[in-house]
Amino acid sequence: MPSSQKLALVVDDSKMQCKLLSVLLQEENYQVVVANDGASGVQMYIEHQPDLVLMDINMPIMDGFEATRRIKKLSGAGNLAPLIFITSMDNEKAFIESVEAGGDSILVRPFSPKVFKAKIKAIQRISDLVEQVKGLQQEQQNDAELAEKMMTGVIEARNFALDQIGVIKKAATIFSGDIQLSALCPNGDLNVLLGDFTGHGLRSSIGAIPVTETFRAMTKKGFSLLEIVAQINRQMHTLLPGDLFFAACFACISEHEKSAYIFNAGLPDGYHFDDKAKIKNQFVSTHPPLGILPQLLSDVQLEVVQVKHSDRIVFITDGIVEARNQAGELFGFTRFESAATEGVAQKDLVNCVLRSLDEFCQHCEQEDDISLVDIPCSGWKPVEFKNKVMIPESFSEEDNVFGAVRNALPAWSYHLHLTDKLLKTVNPIPLVMNQINDLEGAGEHWQCLYTILTELFINSLDHGVLGLDSSLKNSAEGFSQYFKERTKRLDQLTKNVVDTPINFIRITLKYFPLSHGGKMVINIKDSGKGFDILAVIKDNSIAVNDGIKLSGRGVELVNQLCDTLEYQEQGTLVTASYIWHD
Amino acid sequence: MAVNSRVSIDDKQFVISIDERFDFSLHQQFRDAYSSVTTQDLNYILDLSKTEYMDSSALGMILLLKDHVQLYSGQLVVSKPSDTVRKILEIAQFQRLMTIE
Repeated sequence: MPSSQKLALVVDDSKMQCKLLSVLLQEENYQVVVANDGASGVQMYIEHQPDLVLMDINMPIMDGFEATRRIKKLSGAGNLAPLIFITSMDNEKAFIESVEAGGDSILVRPFSPKVFKAKIKAIQRISDLVEQVKGLQQEQQNDAELAEKMMTGVIEARNFALDQIGVIKKAATIFSGDIQLSALCPNGDLNVLLGDFTGHGLRSSIGAIPVTETFRAMTKKGFSLLEIVAQINRQMHTLLPGDLFFAACFACISEHEKSAYIFNAGLPDGYHFDDKAKIKNQFVSTHPPLGILPQLLSDVQLEVVQVKHSDRIVFITDGIVEARNQAGELFGFTRFESAATEGVAQKDLVNCVLRSLDEFCQHCEQEDDISLVDIPCSGWKPVEFKNKVMIPESFSEEDNVFGAVRNALPAWSYHLHLTDKLLKTVNPIPLVMNQINDLEGAGEHWQCLYTILTELFINSLDHGVLGLDSSLKNSAEGFSQYFKERTKRLDQLTKNVVDTPINFIRITLKYFPLSHGGKMVINIKDSGKGFDILAVIKDNSIAVNDGIKLSGRGVELVNQLCDTLEYQEQGTLVTASYIWHD
Repeated sequence: MAVNSRVSIDDKQFVISIDERFDFSLHQQFRDAYSSVTTQDLNYILDLSKTEYMDSSALGMILLLKDHVQLYSGQLVVSKPSDTVRKILEIAQFQRLMTIE
């Protein structure tokens, strides 16, 4: 409320009373306007919006009670227009009726000027207090809105492939305690996270920023989904107090491998729909929400399913199934599943579910944050493969592939030798990429190298050390069998308790700078039995489409990226070279 | 009272019972029910037989009770959850954190 001078409205049919009260009010630094009956009193209130109203009770046209009821109605929830009844009726009934009508206080005539002024001061104090509270509330609201905007900007705006992923995000208050993230892995896989912090509002959004940063940074560096889950769990365990936790569902979808890896810690079932809108899989929660335990449970496992490009993966938080209608019924799983099924069939899951929800809840107050993600199994931005066999303008002898290999010494070389248990617990690719970034600086050309290294390493591990047969992956049952068997054999590795480790993989990198760009030679040697194929040289720059395929080793992708790819020592040693030009 | 607690005759059991609605409004009452119980090796029983509704803040409150129980080397059993409540505990996989019967 601005200015020192306040405005008072006196409503009394006695002109003398009006005059008397006006004088007293003016002495208390009020400006005064006057009305002589209830109706014009209400009129004057609307016109002048006074800070104080003094109301007589017995008046013609409209009495004080009625006028008060109307004025109080007008001032609404936010505005306290303090109103004092001035009356000569000193009885209990008058007092009670005054308060019922909405009066804030009552003054009984006759009263001394001193009493009058004291009363005015008291009521003004309360009025000031109310104004203060309103101001604070408004500030709080403004802060919440600003913070929400920033959070959305920091967190959601940087989500990958947002146009392809269907999203429902309905906060119960300004802030949603739910979070949705998506990020692209260096090899083209898509990582998605839907999470629910306990409670809602600003309090539960604080964990959102560290979760976002971890999820994004680790995805970009090529860490596996489980490593990301473990790290987020550790962080939340440290950050969140004992009664707060983070229920979340993670997915890593590989368009290339046609598979999806899922992990559900504390959310309702996730769904896998095929393009005929049939539910092919449901992903139940297999672990307590994150942040409760200091470490993930030891038997933790990702669920892996085969997916077709037209399939969809859908995650929800509990807000959607627990949404109520007026009668107190819950929306429930059945209603959700049928709305979702219809939505998938119509290729518009988000709107179908929203419609079904609105129809059911019918403006009933939303109690909890409602969130849903609808993830495609293909079609997000593919990794762009630059054609490595471009002849640069200033082609020099030095850039000749074979010349560089035979005569030059590398600028640096890097070796990593992992044995037995470490093959299960350590993912060496982010380590290697980090090393490369540190030595040579970051660059877009490293994306391809990441893919090459990952593919070759996984091959050496799966087919070399573990002896798995990749043809198992060609059928739906074979797929999950493959991964079960893989986990089993990896666990076997950790049980080897001998002085001399038997199983190993050795990664060697040699870097040769060229006048315009560079060349990386990669060797990966594994301790496996190998496979019976003669050493094959595939050289893109000489014999494109020679048609020599190393089938069963899943290296078509690597073939496209490398300049040379060669298997030796009965298939236990692979050498690849990768050249890029500035 | 939405939260009731009683100690059993032989003093080995401490039972906390919750009424129909187990949510954040019970926060203080719930804590008060056990915070002064410092006997070692006690069997804590959280009786949810009357509870029909439980939200995630209730799960958090159960975690705090578990911390308290562990501090005094006790045991915690969550007893007789209804189907709805059992489902909520199952989604949160709480059976991996404590005994539920």
